[in-house]
Amino acid sequence: MAGSEAPPNLKLLLIGNSSVGKSSLLMRFTDAQFLPEDESSATIGVDFRVCKMEIGGRRVKLSIWDTAGQERFRTITSSYYRGAQGIIVAYDISNRETFDALPRWFTELDTYVTPSVVKMLVGNKLDKEFSRAVSEDEGRKFAQRNGCLFLEASAKTNVGVREAFQELVEKILDTPELWAPAAPRITSTATAKPQQSMPGSIDLSANAQDNASSGCSC
Amino acid sequence: MAHTASEWTLASDDAWDSASDSESAYRSPPTTSKPTTFTSLSSSTSSTRPIPVTPSTATSISGKSPQTTRQSTNGDGLTGSEGYTHVLAPSPSSSYSQGILGKPPSAAGWTMVRSPRSSRMRDQGADPEVENEVEVDMEGSVTEVAMGRNRRIREGREAIKYDVEDIVNDPLHAVHSLSSTEYEERVASGIGHPELQHQHAMKAQKRQKFVDCLTAENVDIAALRKLAWSGIPDELRPISWMLLLGYLPLSAATRKSVLSRKREEYANLVQLTFARGIEGLDQQIWHQIEIDVPRTRPGVRLWMERGTQRSLERILYVWAIRHPTSGYVQGINDLVTPFFQVFLGGYIDSEPSLFDPALLSPTALNALEADCFWCLSKLLDGIQDNYISGQPGIHRSVRYLAGLVGRVDAPLAKHLKAQSVEFMQFAFRWMNCLLMRELSVKNTIRMWDTYLSEGSNAFSEFHIYVCCAFLTSWSEKLRAMDFQGIIMFLQSLPTQTWGDHEIEVLLAEAYVLSSVWHNAQSHILKGE
Repeated sequence: MAGSEAPPNLKLLLIGNSSVGKSSLLMRFTDAQFLPEDESSATIGVDFRVCKMEIGGRRVKLSIWDTAGQERFRTITSSYYRGAQGIIVAYDISNRETFDALPRWFTELDTYVTPSVVKMLVGNKLDKEFSRAVSEDEGRKFAQRNGCLFLEASAKTNVGVREAFQELVEKILDTPELWAPAAPRITSTATAKPQQSMPGSIDLSANAQDNASSGCSC
Repeated sequence: MAHTASEWTLASDDAWDSASDSESAYRSPPTTSKPTTFTSLSSSTSSTRPIPVTPSTATSISGKSPQTTRQSTNGDGLTGSEGYTHVLAPSPSSSYSQGILGKPPSAAGWTMVRSPRSSRMRDQGADPEVENEVEVDMEGSVTEVAMGRNRRIREGREAIKYDVEDIVNDPLHAVHSLSSTEYEERVASGIGHPELQHQHAMKAQKRQKFVDCLTAENVDIAALRKLAWSGIPDELRPISWMLLLGYLPLSAATRKSVLSRKREEYANLVQLTFARGIEGLDQQIWHQIEIDVPRTRPGVRLWMERGTQRSLERILYVWAIRHPTSGYVQGINDLVTPFFQVFLGGYIDSEPSLFDPALLSPTALNALEADCFWCLSKLLDGIQDNYISGQPGIHRSVRYLAGLVGRVDAPLAKHLKAQSVEFMQFAFRWMNCLLMRELSVKNTIRMWDTYLSEGSNAFSEFHIYVCCAFLTSWSEKLRAMDFQGIIMFLQSLPTQTWGDHEIEVLLAEAYVLSSVWHNAQSHILKGE
């Protein structure tokens, strides 16, 4: 698994309130597609996607879990934090409520993931600038206070989406203890299990060619 | 690995968009019998049934409810709030003929249904002129109707049954709505193949059994269950479902009065609930419903109509506030759709998923909404712990499913375990949405004929056996896949082409499983 040829398999998780566009961000990133509201359906439980990326000449494989936003699903979705190296927390810049809900999401993050896990706050729906309810500055400040990366994006108009994933992955790659199992762990919480036990980390070498032509930005 | 790279990314979306709603108008009634005598039928025979052309029926209706009247009355029959009522102005041009443009399914099974206004559709070069000669299913694929047969698809208001008011007041009226001669003509016309004729004769015979059962002074529910298990003829489904669910009394004498009382009760509930307008609602629940209603059955005509969406909002909200321990949970919206399509189908002679319910009279629309509400309530009564905090019902069901698969298909269970696939990763949705994200509404409706016959626990218990049969039917494929392949495959299963036959095979297998394992439940959970 630590072999130098096999691309590291990174596990990412998307969280945030219902209808902020988590699935849309992911679909834009992996499929270069966007579906309007009346053509896409709400995620139930969790959806899974994979894709490959090349960053600085280095190939990585991403396993991305896209969670349902409704509160009721929290018991099931919370189990997916285990083993994640990167988390994207999304809100809708045109909907204040989704931003105001962020502290709850970060409390949950504190509970389930180790501090070294890379977090990226994404303010989605930048295309709705005309009805913006959260300023960029507010978003940035919140991110700074919570020690995470920040970007505004629009899955609809394809702004900032690739960048968000790219920055997140770069930061993960800069944090070897997150993805290199050989490296000594600096944290000792119960959630920092060996990678083998996490879903989505199976058989790194088997599908090396499978996603060569995927829509990912590699 | 069987999948190519592009399939991966395409297939990674919900099965929902591509799998759903390939129902075409007028499927013939199912003919499969109980599993012990299960016989497989060629699925190609069940695709079309000739439609009688009776244009005279339509004009009388449209004359009765001119559009101007409807605009002012539609929708406000049930809502007490001005702010809430959305007055619709259904345009006659939004009828079937204008709207349906075909888009062939794409190679990787990714079929996106676009609204009629979509330019992408026009790019496909579909010609509205030819639409009366083609049969269009909800995925937008266009099938040519059997050559040389002169048939016409009734559309818009024309499709409303001439005796709709009678059916609204007494769902049993549907039994008489189509005389048996008419039915036999319908069945016999144009299909010359002896085997098909035989099947149609069987259908007529089966229908007669239903009619005899349903028209009894006191319906024999055991007999109805037995009949309904192997599928209910379309036109008899509304009354049959209402009886099987216990929404309508078995005694014919009280039925009409119960029905009108229940509808009145619902109308009062709505009035009360929305009396203080949107501001008076529980904002958290309302907000979630408001977000989800437009994403219910995306791309399907009926569910894009404002009238349907407003009805759905009311149904979901009233149910949610009356059930505070669960409230509204995503996925419950899906569960309304079979009821709505079946009951709407009772009022019209065209495919419900293509119909704009705003064309119905306010009385019929209100009755439809009320019936959906009560039947949804009955259904959810049996699975409420799927939706309460922590969703214990789903956890229990998924655990049981895992144990069951371990017994029924040990190699598959072992493989899933070796690949670190957890049942919760795919089966959560199977329980939360009762497989409605995996199967079309048409498939679901056929499935519910059997579920409703199985009794009130079917949606929590029999359903697990169906899930087991469903999963193990892909066993061989799954055992050749790794973690990623398995999860992606189960996320977008190739069920788009499924018809009654596939569903009936599934139900038959589930029946066998339940007979074998049902008394060993504790054993299964222990052995897990």
